[in-house]
Amino acid sequence: MPHQFGGPIAMNAHEETTRYALHALLQAGADKAGCSVNTSTKHELSVERAELGLLRTTVNVSINMLVIKDRKKGSISLNTLERSAIDQAVTEVLSMAAASQPDQAYDIAEAQEPRSFVAGGTEPQLDLMYDRMKEFVSAVRVKYPNIMLQEVYLSFNHSKSSFMNSNEAHFQTSQGIHRCTAIFSGQEGDNVSSFIYTGFARRELEQPLLACGSIDTRLRHASEQVYSQPVWGKFTGDLVIAPDCLGSFLGFITRSLSDRPIIAGTSVYKDSLGQQIANPIFSLHCRPVSPEIADGYFVTGDGYAAENSTLIDHGVLRSYLLTLYGAKKTGRQRAVNNGGAYVVDPGDKSLDEIIASVKRGILITRFSGGSPSANGDFSGVAKNSYYIEDGKVAYPIRETMVSGNFVEAFRHLSAISRERVDFGWAVLPWVCIPGISISGK
Amino acid sequence: MVAPDLRAYAKFLPEYAELRWQENRSINISFLNGNITGNARSSSCGISARMYSNGSWGFASSPEPNAANIQAVIRLAQDNARFLDSREKKGKQPLPATSADSVRDFGTKKPKYTQKELLDFAKELDAHIAANYKDLTSRAVILNGLDMEKVLITSTGSYSHSLIPRSYVYVQMATDAAGSPVELGDLAGGLGQFEDTLTSPAKFHQMIAQLYEHLMHKREGVYADAGTKTCILGAKLGGILAHEAIGHTTEADLVLSGSVAKHLLNKEVAGPLVTLVDFAHTALGQICPVPVYVDDEGTPAQDVTIIDRGILKAYMHNKESALLFNTPPTGNARAFAFSDEPLIRMRNTAILPGNSKLEDMIASVDDGYYLIQPSNGQADSTSEFMFGVVLGYEIKKGKLGRAIRDTTISGVAYDVLKTVTMVSDDMHWSNGGMCGKKQQIPVGLGGPAIKCRINLGGR
Repeated sequence: MPHQFGGPIAMNAHEETTRYALHALLQAGADKAGCSVNTSTKHELSVERAELGLLRTTVNVSINMLVIKDRKKGSISLNTLERSAIDQAVTEVLSMAAASQPDQAYDIAEAQEPRSFVAGGTEPQLDLMYDRMKEFVSAVRVKYPNIMLQEVYLSFNHSKSSFMNSNEAHFQTSQGIHRCTAIFSGQEGDNVSSFIYTGFARRELEQPLLACGSIDTRLRHASEQVYSQPVWGKFTGDLVIAPDCLGSFLGFITRSLSDRPIIAGTSVYKDSLGQQIANPIFSLHCRPVSPEIADGYFVTGDGYAAENSTLIDHGVLRSYLLTLYGAKKTGRQRAVNNGGAYVVDPGDKSLDEIIASVKRGILITRFSGGSPSANGDFSGVAKNSYYIEDGKVAYPIRETMVSGNFVEAFRHLSAISRERVDFGWAVLPWVCIPGISISGK
Repeated sequence: MVAPDLRAYAKFLPEYAELRWQENRSINISFLNGNITGNARSSSCGISARMYSNGSWGFASSPEPNAANIQAVIRLAQDNARFLDSREKKGKQPLPATSADSVRDFGTKKPKYTQKELLDFAKELDAHIAANYKDLTSRAVILNGLDMEKVLITSTGSYSHSLIPRSYVYVQMATDAAGSPVELGDLAGGLGQFEDTLTSPAKFHQMIAQLYEHLMHKREGVYADAGTKTCILGAKLGGILAHEAIGHTTEADLVLSGSVAKHLLNKEVAGPLVTLVDFAHTALGQICPVPVYVDDEGTPAQDVTIIDRGILKAYMHNKESALLFNTPPTGNARAFAFSDEPLIRMRNTAILPGNSKLEDMIASVDDGYYLIQPSNGQADSTSEFMFGVVLGYEIKKGKLGRAIRDTTISGVAYDVLKTVTMVSDDMHWSNGGMCGKKQQIPVGLGGPAIKCRINLGGR
């Protein structure tokens, strides 16, 4: 991350409040306790139906307290820093813990070297934000005249946090980031495309919005998809998954590696550490503190300094995404981050080469599906997608369903593109998965 | 926090303005295989102001609702509106003036449960499942409560103070089918705080027994046959169809953005058996799951009959869209948190019951499916929708057959509703989920069972 440094801790109002609450928790009888204080500000410009309509400024604070007493745990959060409210919450959270039941797996982070992290600016540049939005709306009007910009949000978000626990883990963070989300559709007369949404995060607004993330490609898709056709019949084919859509597929893996399914024993990957779970061409990383990720994080929910990790290395599962509780409960290793900030390694083929290798299939850019089964079965609608035949993108499609199994899909993944999209919170390529059931009219 | 009386600040509201205090309070308790994995409470409270100036909006919020901050928030919202107005110069007309005076409190009148009583309640349910249903690989019991309390004043003279709580218990079970996990969950509860919805653990034993029975059938289940099928959508799916597939396309902001409903007003969009209403607070003589009497723009909330016997009749509006459509606002402007601006949102959207009996509807299907339990759903401006289905059965020659594994249904809503040939005479309301549209918000979904043709995912 460009502006990151790990400097000494400076005393300020956040620190004083965090220290006050932690002290109060321990004075009230907690065996172990943790406390974080966060202040956030957001300045957001909104476009609705291609017109700038709203400027919104929000300020919030939060204080989160966790307490363990007699191996019992409770947690509470509120959004006031008034000492009387904190005192009341201290009493309440200890009473909540007392009402709970003991669990040897409850714990807090060990002592770590105190560190301070800074990334991005602290103040919005409202005039620049306004100019970037106006420039974007004008550029879209010229380049894609049949596009209706339903909603576009551009915000500058700054947050300042302090974390301490009774083991003397102690961190400060200050992060500033621009986030942009756009929802749009193509329209000509009575014909309308499905809506498309995409977004990205950037520390600075150095480039026009149209040049960021996948937004230009997605606008082209919406423009082309005003006139779509059903796919006819039912067949087994290849799915070329666009970066905007890949998150839906990665979500199955990352959820299956997290606390609940691992503790419950319902994860299909519960005994797969060190085993091949995907094609060797596939590597998946979590990089919250990497220069590749603008919108990362520095401290985990458990109070550890976040580190980058590799979840899947050339198809082999290298790490679960377990919290401290999940790790202790299952006797496995704690993840060194909270997940997210996903980076998939690039492949050795261009997107054009991948499409050229498809005999029959779909280029899918949005998957609208039911929550996948625990065993990985999935089915859903291929939204904003294209039919591929004999190595060429043939036409935009509608009312087409795809189904398969995520576990099998990652095992049989056949190609990854060299090109990737930098969303700011993830860096993802196009991937190709064969053997998917595709059914249309 | 005790709700402040904002009326003293009315004199500080310029032009068109709203001033809102809001506190959202939540409770989460989770048991997973007998372990407590969640024991948490949270509160989020603050003040916000929104100003309208010639077509440009300014909004500001602060978490500390003291007198100085309230006035600072009003000034900042005004500055933000002027920032945009000075550049955009839209010169639009003033918004419609509405006024209301309403106090609605759906909080419990009983002594509040302690955290220990709530934990004991969940623990008792968990123990009941562990003791009675041995063939499970995992079980979860979750209690979730959310109180939304708001005080609103507007420059056009509206005053509203409301407390709308909801609370429910969610139970999930998993079993094993030849080494592969199979899961199923269900929830119960609704409008009210835990003291009114969790009156006794035994009240939920029947739901748990039915859930287990369905799970055992699902364990032996088959994959649905992909393609267009005749289906009976159970009442829970009827509700999500009303909300996702039709409701979103008739929110006036989406209509203005070009939803397919834009060109369908006063046209036939469904079979004559279909009437669809977004109820404000009371439906068929009963209080709805998410009663809204005054919306967050200070407009008295009105029912909106969206489809009347198959004909699309109306859209849902806030003040700005009502001005554009030259129609009265309907009271659909709602915000989730104190720091959120109001958006056009549904309240309690339902297809009205018909005259058929569910058993007759099933008996009328030669080869199809009875789909009972949805998981998630998504809609589109084209009215193409998708719902996950986690519980359903085959229908063969008018009788229920094997259970099916998780699947997905989809279709173009305005086409699917034209295939409706039977509507059941019962009605199910649910409000366990959240609707997402920039912000999340609780909504009520209601529906009878309907017979229609729909696309099914499968193998």
